[in-house]
Amino acid sequence: MLSYQEIISTLEMLKNEHLDVRTVTLGINLFDCASHDLGMLKTRIRDKIGRIAEALVPVCDQVGDKYGIPIVNKRIAVSPIAVVCAPLGPDGMLEIARTLDECARSMNVDFIGGFSALVEKGIAAGDRALIAAIPEALTETERVCASVNVASTKAGINMDAVLLMGRAIKTAAERTAERDGLACAKLCVFANIPQDVPFMAGAYLGIGEPDSVINVGVSGPGVVRKAVDRALAAHPDLDLGQLSDLIKRTACKVTRVGELIGREVAELLKIRFGVVDLSLAPTPNVGDSVGEIFQSLGLLAIGVPGTTAALALLNDAVKKGGAFASSHVGGLSGAFIPVSEDLNISDAVAAGHLSLEKLEAITSVCSVGLDMVALPGDTSAETLSAIIADEMAIGVINKKTTATRLIPVPGKKAGDRAYFGGLLGESVIMAVNNGAGPNLFIRHGGLIPAPIQSLTN
Amino acid sequence: MTKVIISVLGKDRPGIVAAVSRVLFECDCNIENVSQTILQTEFAGIFIAAIPAGVTPEGLREGLAARLEAFKMYVQVKPLAANGSPAPPPAAEPFVITTIGPDAKGLVARITAVIAGYQVNVTNLLAVFKGGNEPGDNIMIYEVDVPTDIDQQAFRRDLQNQATALGLRLTIQHRNIFSAMNRI
Repeated sequence: MLSYQEIISTLEMLKNEHLDVRTVTLGINLFDCASHDLGMLKTRIRDKIGRIAEALVPVCDQVGDKYGIPIVNKRIAVSPIAVVCAPLGPDGMLEIARTLDECARSMNVDFIGGFSALVEKGIAAGDRALIAAIPEALTETERVCASVNVASTKAGINMDAVLLMGRAIKTAAERTAERDGLACAKLCVFANIPQDVPFMAGAYLGIGEPDSVINVGVSGPGVVRKAVDRALAAHPDLDLGQLSDLIKRTACKVTRVGELIGREVAELLKIRFGVVDLSLAPTPNVGDSVGEIFQSLGLLAIGVPGTTAALALLNDAVKKGGAFASSHVGGLSGAFIPVSEDLNISDAVAAGHLSLEKLEAITSVCSVGLDMVALPGDTSAETLSAIIADEMAIGVINKKTTATRLIPVPGKKAGDRAYFGGLLGESVIMAVNNGAGPNLFIRHGGLIPAPIQSLTN
Repeated sequence: MTKVIISVLGKDRPGIVAAVSRVLFECDCNIENVSQTILQTEFAGIFIAAIPAGVTPEGLREGLAARLEAFKMYVQVKPLAANGSPAPPPAAEPFVITTIGPDAKGLVARITAVIAGYQVNVTNLLAVFKGGNEPGDNIMIYEVDVPTDIDQQAFRRDLQNQATALGLRLTIQHRNIFSAMNRI
């Protein structure tokens, strides 16, 4: 018999606190589609995705109905296309991007990830072709997401790739200038990319993964915030150890929901269940914000002194709660701080509380990195690369995932607003120190060696 | 060994279960199941007990009534139907239906009419009507077993239509979601 309190608290989380399953992401291995013949390759990719993903959306809707929990996004992640399509040149890669976009439309998923390359130690021919195709691919397609891993703790930082990505981002922004550089919102540059991320734009299916797998991303910043508010209203003198424990218990509940839903979807699809990615992923809706949690914890806004410590507490408590709730926690699992996707965080930028430098600092204690950051349109490719390199260094040295999703908004300057629409939100453009100037450090290229932390054997 | 079902109803006060169980003990009866609940000020208890040869349901009822006289309780004792081989219950999945909304006469009757119309069995019901606008003050929670072979969509649709007509916000969710979130 369920208790009255158990039922009421669960209903509150669902109805008023935005508890949902943010994404069910179906990973599909495409290596068995490989062919030197472009036509054959496209047909095989279409057939395989069609065969495995056909039931994804109806099954997710059915399970969402059964439990009364919305599965907000259904997505597909495929093997890194730079490897699957290694014999192709940039034009062939572009064709594959179009094919993936068609597949996403016909399967009715909102994004398909895996237009990806892993180049942390060196760039192979397929990788180079894919990176060259990224700006046009993300301009022409609507639902394709790209990611490039340019660094790892084991390999160091591939500065040649970092420079290439700075240029790719600049070009992608220019090609979508009339949409404030929207193409860049579908491109992540990573250090230590996990193989099983369900969240976009970084989702791809790793090389060590099964032929197909269901990974689930749960969210719930609103649930955490309300739990903190309620507890402090009842007991204003709670200390931070007690608040950490409260967040941990809340994260545990949220993770259990993701695991239950993910396992059932996987069972109905007869596909293996992979991981729950427990990330506090905000949306631009009021009450669904990570930034608001900082205010509930007593800070004026995200970005003021105390932010890094508060985020360290939050991120750690979320992980501990998630790890207890599920034996298969993976992906990014932490608190996201995507600027334009979180109304409260973009407001903190507009009010002058959060700068690019402080944002970078706090990414050392959370996932994922400089996410959905709008920058002035005159930010040079070299400066973009330098920002990426700094963020990669934080990931490499701290043995964690970091990433950038930078959008140099053409024709706009610091303080202007950029609009991306829907879940991608809008944001004030952040100022960049020496943004348009040259950067000789970046031009040196080469590899920054793997740090001493990599020698673990 | 005969089994009886004993129901005891009346105003709640300390000592009711002690009095009933004392009489059963003195009559050499063995209690197999007990369930009790309190609604506002009223006590209701159900006992299933095995009674030895020589003790009759009527005799037991008289003994209980005498012991409970000071409590002003209503007591009923009746033999439990022999088990036989009851038809196995249909395959079903446990769901929780909740409604929140303004109090009115006939809410339980109208919602349960829909539930019964689909041969859905209510296994637990908790309803609180305190009036006012506080969501938690006017709530019905039905735990139900929904047969797997009924038209689930039609059942949901009819429930929602009835709730809308009554001005209620209704949710129907599989029980596992509550268990997963609240039980380790």
